[in-house]
Formats: sequence, C-alpha cells, structure tokens
Amino acid sequence: MERSRMWSPLLIATLIAIGCGGGKPQEASATPDAPEGRPVQVAEAPAGAQPAVGGSSAVIQGTVTLDGQAPKPATLKMSADPVCQQAHSSPVYAEDVVASAQGQLKNVFVYVKDGVSGTYPAPATPVMLDQNGCVYKPHVFGIQVNQPLEVANSDPTAHNVNAKPTANTPFNTAQPSNKAPKVKKAFAKPEVMVKFKCNIHPWMSAYAGVVAHPFFGVSGDDGSFTISGLPAGTYTVEAWHEKYGTQTQSVTVGDGESESVNFTFKAQ
Amino acid sequence: MTHLNSVFFFHQARHVDAHGPLRYNALYTFMICRCQCIRWFPPAQIQMSLWAAALFAGLLTWGVAPAWAERPSPDAAAGRAAYDQYCARCHGASGKGDGVDAKRFYPRPRDLTMGVYKIRSTASGTPPTDQDLFDIITKGLPGSNMPDWQQLDEPTRWALVDYLKSLSPAFEQTQPVPIELPQDPGLRRVDLKKGKALYEQLACAACHGAAGRANGPSAAGLVDDWNMPIRPADLSQGWSYRGGNEAKAILTRLLAGIDGAGMPSYIDTITAMEHTTLEDAWHLAYYIASLQEPAHWNMIARARWISGALPSTPDDPAWTSVESTDVRVRNVVTAVGEWANPPTVRAIRFQVVANHEAMAIRLTWDDPTQDPQADAEASSPAPDAVALVLKPAGSQGDVVTLQAWPYAEAPKLDVSYWASDLERPREMVANDFETFVARPMADRNDVGALSSAAKYEDGRWTVVVQRPLAPVEPDGAAAIDPGAFTAVAFAIWDGGNPTARAVSSWVDLVLHQATHAAE
Repeated sequence: MERSRMWSPLLIATLIAIGCGGGKPQEASATPDAPEGRPVQVAEAPAGAQPAVGGSSAVIQGTVTLDGQAPKPATLKMSADPVCQQAHSSPVYAEDVVASAQGQLKNVFVYVKDGVSGTYPAPATPVMLDQNGCVYKPHVFGIQVNQPLEVANSDPTAHNVNAKPTANTPFNTAQPSNKAPKVKKAFAKPEVMVKFKCNIHPWMSAYAGVVAHPFFGVSGDDGSFTISGLPAGTYTVEAWHEKYGTQTQSVTVGDGESESVNFTFKAQ
Repeated sequence: MTHLNSVFFFHQARHVDAHGPLRYNALYTFMICRCQCIRWFPPAQIQMSLWAAALFAGLLTWGVAPAWAERPSPDAAAGRAAYDQYCARCHGASGKGDGVDAKRFYPRPRDLTMGVYKIRSTASGTPPTDQDLFDIITKGLPGSNMPDWQQLDEPTRWALVDYLKSLSPAFEQTQPVPIELPQDPGLRRVDLKKGKALYEQLACAACHGAAGRANGPSAAGLVDDWNMPIRPADLSQGWSYRGGNEAKAILTRLLAGIDGAGMPSYIDTITAMEHTTLEDAWHLAYYIASLQEPAHWNMIARARWISGALPSTPDDPAWTSVESTDVRVRNVVTAVGEWANPPTVRAIRFQVVANHEAMAIRLTWDDPTQDPQADAEASSPAPDAVALVLKPAGSQGDVVTLQAWPYAEAPKLDVSYWASDLERPREMVANDFETFVARPMADRNDVGALSSAAKYEDGRWTVVVQRPLAPVEPDGAAAIDPGAFTAVAFAIWDGGNPTARAVSSWVDLVLHQATHAAE
C-alpha cells in the first residue's frame, strides 16, 4: 500500500509523459519495474552483431584494420578489491585497443551518421550491459534512442553505474551487489559516444553509441561489422574508436545490394 | 548547531589566515566575535525565554513576507562583480575552478562551467535548484575550504546564483528534477537496526567502513569523475558532511547522490528493492546520523588534575570523565599543486590527565589503514605516527606557523614523537620533523624516551603518551607549567598515504588553573 502511494506521483508523471509524448523522446529515467533479485547472465554480443533490422534490404559491411603495431595492452590491477581479483585466474587486459595479429581491430563502433530519413521507433528489447569480474561486458555497444538499457551486476561486490553523456542527462546509480536489481535507463537523444565508468573500480569503462535508427554495428574479434536492413541510398558512415578517434566514408547502396566499406586506423 | 558551526568556521578561518590572504582577516575577526558571543551566551532559563520571545516575534512577522523569501530580480552586473570579488580567487576568473588559490586546496574548488554540483536536492545528473545554490553560498561546504557567505546580503547571494547558472550550459540543457523526500517518521519512530541492515545491504561499508570511519576496502581506490583520487566521507565526523549532517540532508545525499564525487544515487536502487520502500531510507539516514560523534572545538583545552597515578592505557576507564578537545589537521602542501593523494586524517581528538609530576595525553584519530612499519614495497613509505608539539622554554610567546615549519627564523620545537614501529615514543627539541621521520632507528633511540600504549581498531588509532612536566631533554625543552597556558599542536603521519604529514593549529592547554592561585 505504502509503495503504491509513493509511486502515484511518479505514475501520474509517467502517464502525462506518455500522454503528451507521442513520438517525443523520453527523458532517461529508471523504469519502476518489479525488482529482479537474481543475477542475470548476459552473453556478450556476438562479434559484428547485427542490430535490429530496418526493414529494407541494403547492407553495408566491412572490416576495420589497425595499420601498425598495436600497443601492448595494460594489465588491469584489481588488487584494490579482492572480489574482482578472485574473479580471474589469468591476467585481465585493458580493452582500449584490441587487435588481432593480422591487425583486425575490435570494438569499433560503426554507424550511419548521415543519410537516413524517416523515423525508426525504439525496439522494446533491452540492450544488456553486464558488470562481470569487474569488467563491463561488452566494452563497446550500440543502442537506439529510447531503447531500454539494462545494466546488471554479476559481481558479489558494489559497483556504481556512472554514465557521463553530454547531450543526454547523466546518471550515477548504485548497484551494491549481484543481488541488487538491474539499473534500467534509456537515452533520449543521439550521442556518440556515452562513457560509462565505476568510481569504485577506476579501471572499468564502457562506451555506448546512441543512434536515432538501427543502422549501427560494433566490429568483432575479426574486425568485421555488418549494418543491414537499410533502404537504398547514399550514406555517410562513421567509425569510432576509443583511442584512434573517428573516420567517415560515403557509400551508395541499392536495394538488395551489399556494399563493402573498410576502415583503417593508424597505430600511434 | 550554531555553536558548532561558528567554532568550526573559526578554525577554518584561522587556517586560511595562516596562508596569508589578508582578505580573510575580516572574516577571522568576525568569527572571533561570534565565538565570544557564544561564550557569553546566557544560562538555560534565560535561553528559554529568549527562544519564546524569538518565537513570538516570528509569529508576529509570519503574515509579512520575510526578507529571505524575496527573490530579487536578476542583476547580472552585481552577480559578476560579487563573483570577481569573492569567488574568482578560488573558482577562477572564468569559473573553471583554476583560481590562484585552487591548487593548494583539497577538495579542489569546483569547475563551475561544467554545471556538476555535489550538493543538490535534485536527481543525479540534473542541475541543482536555485535554492540549492543559494543554500551552498549561504552555508558554505563544511569540511572543505568553501566558507559560508552570510556576510553578503541576500540580494547579492541571489545575484551570485544567477551568475553561477550563466557559467554553464547545463542549466539550459537540463532542468532540475527535485527529489521528493518521503514523510519523515521522526527520530522516535525510526528503527536504527533497520538502518544498520540497510547500511550493510547497500554496501555503504565498502567505502565508508563498517563504523563509518572512511576505512572501507574500496576507500583507497576511489576516483572522482575526473579520475582524481578521492576519499569517502568519515561518517563519524558530522562536521565534515558538506551538505549538512541532519537526517534530512543525509537522506537527500543518499537519494540524489553527490555528482562528480563518485557517491552514486540510491533512489532507483532502493525503490527497485524487494521488501524495501523509499520510506525505509529514513532508517538508514538516521542510522548514519547516529554514527556521528560530537566534536568539541575548544579554544582552551582543560586537563583533569589528579593526585594519583595517571591512566596509561587507551581503554583505562579514567578517560571517560576527561574533557576532550578536537582539533582539525591539514595536510602540509610542500609545493603548490602537490596533491598526490587526498588527505586521510582530518582531525585529532585529545584528552589530558595530569598530576604534579607528569601528564598523560590520549590521542584519538581516524586513519583508514593501519601501517605498522615503513614498507617501501607496499604503499607505506612510513609508519603511522603522531607528534605532540610544544614550544620550548623561552619561545612560548612566539608565533609559529606549523603548516610552514621549519622555516627561516622559526624557533626549534619540542616534539614528542610516537610511531607504530617505535618501541617507545621519543622527545627532543628538534629543528624539523625529519629528525624523527627520516632518522635511522638506532639514532632515534638515543633521544629522550617516553612511555606509551596504543591500539588500532576499526579505522581508528588511540594512543596514550605519558610525558613528565619537567623537561626530558636537557637543552631548552619545554617545562610544562600546570597553571599557565601551554600551546600544544599535533602532527600526524598516515603511512598508507604517501602525501606529507598533517598538522594542526595551536590550542591552549591548561593543566591545573588553581595552581597559581594557591601559591
């Protein structure tokens, strides 16, 4: 009873927001859902995962390559929190630059920056971000404007989910243990990228690309990405990397066609 | 409350004064007045009638809009002028937190252009309300270098609010989302056991420690949003709560978070929990308030004078009836901008019992890590240590700035030094602290030996040192005159925090006021 009384102002506010909102973006806010006490195992997104299909048939795919020697990855020092340290039997490395011996560059966010017309409603399926072994999984991911984001804590230790967007409203929410409910948020405006961090474990970081449509992907272990379901047209495609910045290319693709767009970042 | 604040700010003013900016002198004088007023405050019965009179006067003026409710129309020129005069020195001419005094402060002055404010009544990530900003200016941020600005008239403070908002686009981009607090059950209906359970369930102890002494396992590794090291609040030190230490303020911080500082918001966390409502957060807020220990910022510390044996252990029951005095300590900044680590020791409490021959002093301070030995391999370059500092014979009247000591023409000081790796504390008249800290152990053992007992428990050192009233060291050491004021000060080293020592200002200690009168 107490709970419902407490919720009534929020409920009214939500109803008003829904009533007036229509297609308008909704402010990032927690969804007052039933709590979920159990830790949720979130599988890491498969390499080059395809986002929700836009309904058309054109495809942009390609590979991201690193030109030159990748820097030696830093070993994450987790000794500050024994829970984190004990979660790993082998060294854990920073994910700022992840490249194969052949130079295939992982964790590059590739998205259509310009040329998409029409509106693409946010999918109801949430994007999952997990904190597992005191590391964010995945390290880089894409999400549509207003698409639900669910952040889970799979660790028996405290995390704080601190998102630092500039176009969207920032938040910093406590998640005291793996028994704590998921943090449920959404981003109201496009923003590439939004950084996530944890003040308790300073080595943790993740990046989200918030885009107004479903035409984005993240390069996998083999450096490849695929953006499918596009209408025929001419597009500007941007590739973002945490350390090496952004690159753009223009591409024209017809219905049922697949165009290849490859990016090469220079190792500094 | 008023008493505590005034005296606290007096201390703060005195510290700032020692740094030299003349501007603070007015504030300093003002604070002394305030403190003196308090000393002359009338006895309880008169206080009661004063309160009644004040209440009556308050009721009379209730219908008339009180002055503070009036928000004057924005005055950009006045805001800018006031900012330049009062705020720019720390917060910088353009508000980027880079004023000339900024680098020697911890916490650093806020970069106002980012619009990220710690002390808000609004949802995490949203800007503060105008009233929040007005309150920060009016009350200051206790435990930091941000003073209260009550000496500015209210229209000027409101003009500053408008000016601050003009410094950051955050106020136009995002609207403040005020958090509505649930109904306060009041202290009588609150369940502190439930509060304690929530403290554990929400992992508050991970940073703040089981007893709230800022000694949780994650305390040393925390960073702020700019990746600078930061320490959690010591919840036992109510005076250091930036946004106020009453349950309502605590609940507001819990639900809103402290943006930029790493303290997250718990509003979503608590509302999504099973069997817990937002109302229950009051239990936690009151529980945290219950962890606070009263601090006594006495300007004169009085010993207990006895004829028998002095207490020699930290837990001797004799200590319970001895007046205690708290003193703030500040880390010594050896070079401008040199804040390798945030300070970990912020205050020390002392009690003194004395007889005709000797005095026993019990020192209590919170230190998040026990560092018994210097360990170059680990993060402890030095052991935990404390020093009782006196002025040697002939220099009682000298003004000595311990923050800067030793400096040219500064007198030697009489230092009683206890370290966790020393068998016995040592006393000598020293040219500098390095005499003790850097000297090889064998050398340290050749100076005057005192007796001591110590314990470390739950983030807190309690050390008892006994020292004769007559000089231990023959050459110029301080002989303590029981009937006179003896200036005492303290230096503290936290071995787990490689940042240099923390030192206090001077406090007057009197062992036995009747001694002179009797002679």
